[in-house]
Amino acid sequence: MPRDVKNLRILVVEDEALLVMDIEQIIEDAGHRMVADVPSVPDLGRLPRDLFPDLAFVDLQLARGSSGIDAAGLIRCQWPHALIVFVTANARSLLPEVEAGDGVLPKPFTEGGIRGALSFLEEGIAAPPPSAPPPPEFVAAPTLRARWGIA
Amino acid sequence: MDDDGGEWHQTGDVLHEGGRGDPFAAAVRSARMPMVVSDPRRPDNPIVFANDAFLDLTGYGRGEVVGRNCRFLQGPETDPAAVRRLKDAIEREEPIQVDLLNHRKDGTPFWNALFVGPVRGRGGEVQFYFASQIDVTARVEAQAALGRQKELVEAEVRARTAELEAALRQKDRALQEKTILLREVDHRVKNNLNLVSALMRLQSARLSDPALKAVLASMMERIEALSSVHRTLHQAAEIGRFGAGGFLRSLLGALLRGAGREDLEVVDRIGEVEIEAENATALGLLANEILTNALKHAYPGGRAGRLEVALTRDGDEVVLAVADDGPGFDATAMGSGTLGGSLVGRLSAQLGGSTRWESSPAGTRSVTRFPADRSP
Repeated sequence: MPRDVKNLRILVVEDEALLVMDIEQIIEDAGHRMVADVPSVPDLGRLPRDLFPDLAFVDLQLARGSSGIDAAGLIRCQWPHALIVFVTANARSLLPEVEAGDGVLPKPFTEGGIRGALSFLEEGIAAPPPSAPPPPEFVAAPTLRARWGIA
Repeated sequence: MDDDGGEWHQTGDVLHEGGRGDPFAAAVRSARMPMVVSDPRRPDNPIVFANDAFLDLTGYGRGEVVGRNCRFLQGPETDPAAVRRLKDAIEREEPIQVDLLNHRKDGTPFWNALFVGPVRGRGGEVQFYFASQIDVTARVEAQAALGRQKELVEAEVRARTAELEAALRQKDRALQEKTILLREVDHRVKNNLNLVSALMRLQSARLSDPALKAVLASMMERIEALSSVHRTLHQAAEIGRFGAGGFLRSLLGALLRGAGREDLEVVDRIGEVEIEAENATALGLLANEILTNALKHAYPGGRAGRLEVALTRDGDEVVLAVADDGPGFDATAMGSGTLGGSLVGRLSAQLGGSTRWESSPAGTRSVTRFPADRSP
């Protein structure tokens, strides 16, 4: 359900500890909250059901050989309202996975890229469509564009 | 051949008896082409006449051939299909030409270009079959030799084609492996760049000295420019090329956002210019220095202003031109004393080109020119 949010509850699925720290700092500087971080799909399965994230940043290659696509499926089942953004170093030509999520933020990400994506998503969750287009680094999935009425 | 009144049985008799007084029979008898006549009205269509040339060709005496069906010339290697066509034509009472492997009396084979045609009487009924034979062994053998040669050539061509196809498949496989490797390396480079910038951001957040923070910030901008190059690499249609236009536009957007100066009037003359991928990082860092320099010095105190960025192809050269309408610099801001200044100079040289600066109270303009392709 769209709710009036200024503080997004964000789940980070990433196995690089440094990147988790970095993302957390960027998220909190932007006024949002990282409610949990997990390095793999099995760890994701152990999170409490009442976590209710608004947004998940999901790396594609996770620890213990698990895949971000599977993580996205699990998040979709547990918290259907959460938006899923893949954070990946795969070349853009390899991105049919956009379809499994709501958007892609390519690595190496920048603080500006994440902040831009956050304000775009925050506006979209609260009252779509967002007033400004997403930053060039962020690729919004066709399904999200359709849902929010973005050209 | 025959006049209306001429009776073939009569001719046959004459031929049978030696054909005295019949000019046609005489011609057949003395012709140099081997010929026989058979009588289909008798059982098994036997030969009723054979000329001397036929006897010479086959080695048989006249007494040995007259009264027999022609098939005694055939042997086990005679093509049954050819024999069937001959038989069918005779049954349909139609003329036929067929190459047949026949045998002489001594058993030696020869290729017989056989012609058989029906000879009709006045009522249209077939009275005789006339057959002429030509020994075409030489021609058939030449053809067979030609065929064998053709087969040899074709086999050679097939072998060479297979070799080429195998080489192509191997090349494809090698290219595929190279592409996979390139993707893997690319993936790692991007991850590591991300780790480097994450480390710097984490460190920067824990610093309290504004001067140190500023130094780290400009280092992070450089790392982010490199990151931006790597996000754009391998997205060009052709491997080894780099879409400099798309890269420059996204770098400009990120720098404006980062500086909080999205209010500036930006004149975007960035064309879709592709450069060699190996030049991508040099151009990326160079553009980052020039653009951050303009953003840092041209619009002090949040001053409104205009920034013009152009990337074009001029003949064999790529031209990057950046112009601001700031107060101009007194040769120190981008001088060789600063890291930014020496980076621009060294990176231009690395690209095989140079950067020229013009500064006046109306603004600062830099023009970087470098060759688009350095490979011969």
